[in-house]
Formats: sequence, C-alpha cells, structure tokens
Amino acid sequence: MSFFGFDTSLPRDRGHQSTAPGFGQTHDPFAGLSQRNVSANDEVLDFEETYDGLGDQLDETDDAFNDDTFGGEPANQQSVGKDFDFSGQTAQIADTMKEEQMLYAARQPPQRQPSPPKKSTRPARTGYEKYSEPTYIPELQANASLWGMAPRQPSQDVTESYHRKHSEAVPPTSNRKMMSLEEVEAMMRAQNNLKSTTPQPAPQTSQPQPRVEQAQLPIIPPQQGPHPQGQFPNFSGPPQILQRPQQLSEQRFQQGARPPPQGDKQNQGVQHAQVFQRQRQAPMELVAHRSQHTSTPPGPRRTPQPRQILQNPNRLSGHGQPIAPSLSRPSHQAHLTGPMHARGPSYPGAVVTNPQQLLNLSDEDRAAFLAEDARRAKRNHKIHMLSLGNGLMTPQDKNFITRIQLQQLVTATGGVDDQDPEAALTEDFYYQVYSQIRGAARENPNQPANHFAQTYLFQTGGRYGLAGRRHPRGGDNHMQRMEQQVQRAVEAAKAKPKNKQLVIEGSLGKISFSNAKTPKPLLNLKRTDSADVRPSSAGRRPSRHAAVLDRKATLRDIENVYSDLMAMEDHERHLPPPLNENSDPESIQQHMEWRHTIQDLNQKLWRDLKVMEPIVPNSPVPHPFIAILSHPKGKKTVPRVFRHIDEQQRVTILTMIVVHLDTLDVVRNALLHHDEPKLSRMAREEVELFAHSVIPSLFSYINEAPLTIVIGLLGLVLDRTNIQNLVRTKIGLSILTMFVSRAEIFKQSSAPGDLTDSDWEQWLQLYNKLFDIAEPVLPYIFPGSVNDTEDVYVWQYLAAMGVGASPEQQQRLVLGVKDRVMETVNVSKALPPEIAATRLGHVNLFMRAIGLDVELLG
Amino acid sequence: MADAEEGAASVGEPLDLVRLCLDEIVFVKLRGDRELKGRLHAYDSHCNLVLGDVEETIYVVDEDDEEEETVRTVKKQSEMLFVRGDSVVLISPQAPS
Amino acid sequence: MLFFSFFKTLVDHEVTVELKNDISIRGTLKSVDQFLNIKLDDISVVDEVKYPHMSSCKNVFIRGSVVRYIHLPAAAVDTALLEDATRREAAQASARAKQS
Repeated sequence: MSFFGFDTSLPRDRGHQSTAPGFGQTHDPFAGLSQRNVSANDEVLDFEETYDGLGDQLDETDDAFNDDTFGGEPANQQSVGKDFDFSGQTAQIADTMKEEQMLYAARQPPQRQPSPPKKSTRPARTGYEKYSEPTYIPELQANASLWGMAPRQPSQDVTESYHRKHSEAVPPTSNRKMMSLEEVEAMMRAQNNLKSTTPQPAPQTSQPQPRVEQAQLPIIPPQQGPHPQGQFPNFSGPPQILQRPQQLSEQRFQQGARPPPQGDKQNQGVQHAQVFQRQRQAPMELVAHRSQHTSTPPGPRRTPQPRQILQNPNRLSGHGQPIAPSLSRPSHQAHLTGPMHARGPSYPGAVVTNPQQLLNLSDEDRAAFLAEDARRAKRNHKIHMLSLGNGLMTPQDKNFITRIQLQQLVTATGGVDDQDPEAALTEDFYYQVYSQIRGAARENPNQPANHFAQTYLFQTGGRYGLAGRRHPRGGDNHMQRMEQQVQRAVEAAKAKPKNKQLVIEGSLGKISFSNAKTPKPLLNLKRTDSADVRPSSAGRRPSRHAAVLDRKATLRDIENVYSDLMAMEDHERHLPPPLNENSDPESIQQHMEWRHTIQDLNQKLWRDLKVMEPIVPNSPVPHPFIAILSHPKGKKTVPRVFRHIDEQQRVTILTMIVVHLDTLDVVRNALLHHDEPKLSRMAREEVELFAHSVIPSLFSYINEAPLTIVIGLLGLVLDRTNIQNLVRTKIGLSILTMFVSRAEIFKQSSAPGDLTDSDWEQWLQLYNKLFDIAEPVLPYIFPGSVNDTEDVYVWQYLAAMGVGASPEQQQRLVLGVKDRVMETVNVSKALPPEIAATRLGHVNLFMRAIGLDVELLG
Repeated sequence: MADAEEGAASVGEPLDLVRLCLDEIVFVKLRGDRELKGRLHAYDSHCNLVLGDVEETIYVVDEDDEEEETVRTVKKQSEMLFVRGDSVVLISPQAPS
Repeated sequence: MLFFSFFKTLVDHEVTVELKNDISIRGTLKSVDQFLNIKLDDISVVDEVKYPHMSSCKNVFIRGSVVRYIHLPAAAVDTALLEDATRREAAQASARAKQS
C-alpha cells in the first residue's frame, strides 16, 4: 500500500518542485502534512497549495539550527565546505562500514574470491597521476562500482567481486580507508572548487561532523538500511549501498538510543520500498539522500553546497520529528520527504534519481574522465608536434614569409591595379589614362593606357581657348605652324624682290589722307549682307519641334561616332605582334582578322559620320555631317576621326567642310554686327574649339596636298560660299589662308616640273577672284576694335594674300587695311614693350609680305 | 525625322538620353530649390554628375512682416562641379536658346 | 567606379565640399573610396562665422551621402577624357543590363 502511495504522489511532487519555497521553511507545516498524508494519500495535491505560502513563512528563528547544520564557526568557504562534508561524517563510522562490508562479504563467500581486477577501469584513471595515490584510487573505483555497477550485475557476486577487487587493489596500508567515502567526497569537492579535472585530496578535518550527523540521521535511516539479500531478491542493489545506511543507522541509533536491530529491519523495509520506488519513478528525494551518502561524482561536483544547504530543511524537519513516526509510517515518511525534497530539482545538477541512473552516470563520469584524459594527451601530442619545428625560423624569416603571403593574397584578390589590364582599364579608365597623361604619382609599368594617353594627350580637350592651360601643343601649335607656313611664303617671296616699296610707301601716305570716307558705305553694305544671311538661316529650321528632333538625332549621331572611335581605339591596342617572314600562319591569320575588323570599324565610323549623305541644295536642314560639326563634341571628334581614316576619306571630309563653309556654325554665328561688336561667349568658344580641333586636322592635310587639290577646294569655296561673310570670320579666313599659303609655298618650293603652267594659271584665276571679292570688306575683316589683340589670323591672311599678290593687288591690300595698320602702330606705342612688340610683329607679318616694315612707318 | 526614328532604337534606357547630353549644356534640377546649368562632363547610374562652367540658382523664399512671400534667387558660379546624385531631381538638355 | 576613378586623380588637389546642410568645407582632398566618402586635410569652413562648429578641426572625414557638391579645380579635370570615361561606363552599364 504505502509503496504504491508513494508512486502516485510523486509526479505531483515533482510538479510542485518548481515552485517550492526555499530552504528556510519551518518544519511544522510538514509535520502536519505528513499527518494528513497518513489518512489520505490522495490529498497530495494539497501539498502544492500548502507550499505556496511557505516561502513567506520563512522562520528566521530556525537559524538557531544553523549551527547544528553548518557548525558553529563563522561560515567561510572553507568551513562550510567542511560542514557539508558528509562523507567526512561517514568516515567516522568507517570502521562500522568496514565491518558491515566484511559481514556482507562473509555472507557471500563464493563470490569474494574470483574475479581478478578489471584493468578496464584502471586505464581510465591513468591520466590522473595524482589520483594514483593509494588513498584515492580505491575509493574512486569503489564508489563507481558501488553505485554504478550494482544494478547492472545480475547477481551480487560480481558486485562483490568488484568491491573486493578494489579494496584489495589498494596497498595494505591504506586498506582501511578504502571503504571510506570521506576522501571520495573530498576529492569531489576539490574538483568542484578547482573546476578542474585534477583535484588535490584535501585531508579531512571533520570538526562539525557530530552536529551534522544529528541533522542528517533522522532522515537517512528510513531510506537506506542494511539490505539483506534474501529479503529482496529482485533488488540487485550493491552491497555497499546497504553498508552505509547500516552504518548511519547504527550511528543514529547510538545517538537516538534506538536498538539497532529494529531500526535495521524497519529501515530495510523502508529502504526497499523507496529503492523500488526510485527505480520506477525516480523521486527527487533520493537525490538528496544519495548526495548525502555517496556524493557520486555528477551531483556534488556540479552543485555541492547549494544542494547540501537545501537539504538542511529536510534534515531539520526530520530532526524535529520523532524518529518513530517516520519509521512506523514509512510510506508517509517517504511521502513527506518527497515533497520536502521537491526542492531538489532546482539544483541544476540533481539528475541521478535511481541506481540505474547512478550506474549510467558513473559510466559517463568515467567516460568523461577518459575523454578528458584522451583530450589532454592529444593536446600534449599536438603541442609536441607543433613544437617540432621550433626555432627553425627566425622572426625575420617569418616576417619575410608573411610578406610573401600577403603579396600573394593581394594578387589573388586583386586591387584594381593588379587585375588584368583590360579589367583595370574598364573599371578605372579615367584614373589610368589620366595618370599616363599627367604623370600622376604612381608609375605602373603594366598600365595599359599608353595608346589612350596618346589619344587624349594630343587631343584638344579645351572647349574655349584652353590651349594655354590644358594642351599647349594643341591649338597653339596649329597657329604657330600656320604662321610658320605664312612666314615661309613671305621669306620665299622676299627672295625674289619685286621692288614695289616706293609705290607702297606712296600709297600709304596718300591713302592716309583720304581715309575717313570709305568705311561708311561698306558698312551699310555689310549690314544688308548680314540681314540677308540671318533670315535664311532661320528659315532652315521650320519649327522648334523639328529643331529639337534634329538636335537629338545629331547628338545621337555624335555618340555613335564616339562609340565607333572607342571601339577602334580599343581594337588598335589589340594589334597582334608585327609580322615578319617567319611568322606562322596563325599569326598571319590573326593579322588578317585584325585588319578585317579594323576595316569594318572604319566603314561603320564612316557611315556614322554621315559624310556621304547626299547634299541637298537649299535644304532647310543642314547636312548631317555639318550638324555634327555644329556641336562641340562633334568638333572634337575630327582629330580622332582623322587618325582612323585614309587620305581619300580625309579629303572627302575636307571637301564637305569647304562646301558648307559658310553654313558652319562657327562661320554663321561668328559674323559681327556693328551693334554687336563682340561675339557671344558661346560663339567665341565654338570658334576657338573649331580652330583648335578641326582646323589643325585640315591644315595637316592641306599642308601635304598637291596644288590641284588646293585649286579644287578654293574653287569650291568660291563657287558655293559667301566669301564676304567668310572673310569676316576667323574660321573662314583661316581656311582661306591655308589654301593661299599652301599654293604659294607649292609654287616656290616645287621642282620646275611639278608645277604645270595650266595649274598655275588656274590658281591665279581663283586667287584673283578671291582677291576681288574680298577686297571691299578688307577694312572689316578685323575682329572688334583695334584694342582686340586676337587679330593675328587676319594678318596671316593678309600676309598670305600679299605674298602672291601682284604689285597692284598689294597696293589695294594696303589701301584696305592701312587704317588698322596705323591704329595698331599708334596703340602699340602706349602698350608695354612686350605686348607692343607682339602686336607690331603681327602687323609686320603682313608688312614684310609686301616688302615693308612697321619700322618704316615709325 | 527619319534620323530620329532610326536612332530611337538605340536609346534603350533613360540614361542613354543623358549620354546624348554629354559635353552639352544641361539643366539640372535639384532638391532644395536649386537649379544648375552647365556643361555635362560625366554622369553615372546614380546620377552623380560633373558639370563644367556651372551657374547655380537657388530660390530662397523670404517672408516679410506682412507674410508676403517673395522669392529671391541667389546665383553662384563654379568652374567645375561634382554633384552628388541623390540630390538630382531631373536632368534636361538645354536646347540652344 | 567612374567617379571613384575620377576622384582619385584629384587627390592632393584643393576642393570645396558643400554639404547638404549648407556647410562648405575647403580642404585638400586626401583620399576617397568607392562610396565617395572623402577625407580632407587642412580644412577651413567657408562661412566660418555662420558655421563655427569646426573651427578646431584640422582634417575631416566626410560621409559621401551628406555631400551635395564638390567644387573642383577645372584645370585638374581632363574633360575630354572624362567624357570618354563616362561613355565607357555607360556602355558597360548597358551591356550589363542586356546580359541580365
């Protein structure tokens, strides 16, 4: 009955455990509860309710028992640790236990003898050299077998043999202590305290033990007592279990003046019941008891002190109660202890609840020890292996290796610079090329941009006279070359003196008198001229909408051209290695393919330039190519385009430009009006850009062109364009200057056979025509006022015209521009010497072409 | 017109239109009542821009005592300006006027 | 990467960073990263009286996202190259877009 009663109540007890009050509760309520339990087992539920308030009823007066429990000394870590050294108490009855063991052994004679010590357990301990001290090992092993092995044994003989084996294994001197749990527990505590696997055995000085025993004893007996085998054949508990309760009970009986035999028997009964119960239901009380008695490794090691403290109320309650009732009502006692120990589960480590588990845990513990040991051995081995190469390398060596590795790492992961050049170029194009052009800090020999650097280096990036600050070689270079060419023409002309100086001097003097009259009518004429031009140009754009569409189309054309250019420039960089006679077919093939591709790209570029679009006379929409040139970025394409096209294409472009010369924005929008003496900034920038980007390309071509080409181009200009507008613009004059000076140089430098009379005759006709058309506007071809310093292109034109002019034409030239000459000379007198010299030098360009010098005017 | 239609095929994405404006004068509207006018030298997919010869116009609303709001414009010049894309509201080609 | 590449060429040049809170900081561009965070040395706040916050700062790190403008020295910018770099970037971007 009572056993089953335990069974039913325990789960609820467990449920209660989580809310169990602390250890300070009074024992009175428990007494009452135990009483109630006597009458009705089913009322276990009430425990929970009863317990709910218990925490509040903590009775500080119970502190009086603290001394009993903990000892009278101030509770420092040391003393407390000893206070709960239950095995220490046990040690006091070690003799009794020994006796009991012997007694048990005597009852089981056959099993004592046989089994030799199993080595399997010993190796497990071998890692712990310190444990090999005779005082410990037996206990450890005895313990393990004591709790762990028993349930496994089908018969107790094996257990006994284990026990005997262990006890016999130890040296005789320590044989006595073999059975004592004192050191075992001490060791466990030490393990706890050290949190290490190598605890040092602390010698036991069990001062407070008597008091503790008093507290303990009342509880212990009912649960564990001598366990006669005959009575409980089913229970395979190890004899050691029975031993200690026996000892304890004996002790208790000694103190409590109870006759041992009775107590033993009763205890046996109780214990049997409880063990039975434990095996099946694992009540928590057992935890406490077990920890009290045995301190098997898992429990105490994890939470040694809390558990013991928590046990105290238990003991106290038990202590307060008469022993007899607990004995007489074992089931109730067990029941009572159950709830009381229900606090047990709050210990994290309280896992072992029955012998089976004990067994398992013991195994685990051993396994843990084993594993630990194996780990340590492994570690040591590893350290040994690692240290094999110690000292082979100096720190410098290591540093060196590290650097190499780092370098490899960088290479592998790739900074932009270290990637394949193509990737670097696409990702970092601007920086790479810019670095090439401007010589940025870093010099990377792998920089792939040499080709691009050239492309952009000589490109006239400036939009508005940036030549000075950006690419000094760009536009200025062109102007200098133009000037040089004119000067060459002048020098050549001087070489064959015409001796017209007197006439010219005379004309200068003469003309200076009758100067003021002439400008006016010409000015009027010019105004009507410009009025004619304007409406017509406006009429070309029917509507703003169409204009926007045209503009967008043109912009798209330009971007296509840029795409083509970049594709060609990329392709150029992939030019396969140059061929020689030994080249294998494969490289020849590569070359063929490369050429084929460049051909295709060239054709695409040519199409996208729209040069070959048919010219529609008087069309309201400008020719697509001219439209391209009307945008700054269109103008900028010309030098790049010229690098990628052949001679035929170049002359075609040149022809195209010449035919549309007066419809170019730089001509159309650059005409000055008397009410608008200065160009808008925009127009000026466009003109400068054209002069710096387009003109040099044209010039470089014209410079090499045969006379027939020049004749043809000048003829086109005269046929198709408004020369009088043209000569009033910088671009128009520059192009005319190119033609005229080229023809003059060609004439003077060519071998006699090269220049046919017919060609020259044709040229002279054109020249005269040009002269006649331009003469009326000569006074107005200068930009702005006399203070405008940027008039060198005009003097260049005049010089070019003057070289090839007949004496009569020279005189007319002088007549046309003498005002400007005189003004400039006068203005220069007030200018700083350097600027004055520059300006007079420009004038002299012309004066010397006709055999004069500004010095003569001074 | 034919050109425009033909070219339309090559303009697939909005930013391709911006590409047409490269090296052209563009009008840029920004957060905070700001406008820029300048030559577009660079852009990327975030609408980060580099503009040259920029004129910035800031519209400042002044409130006087009678709570009359008057819009004042502040103009600033910059020869070369990087514009962070997250301020950009729109980019428009500045048709020649 | 275009602007990262671009700003790398402007290192050690004097720039003026205008923040979105209207503070303008002039200083020498020391470094830039792909987020266009920038580091300026020897800084001075343009309108010091109005924004005295940073009178004591010698150099600053500016998170890229707070930048409105950066005024650059035009002489240090190769516009033609920059435009082509932009075209390349755009071509790459559209090529990537077509791939995906």
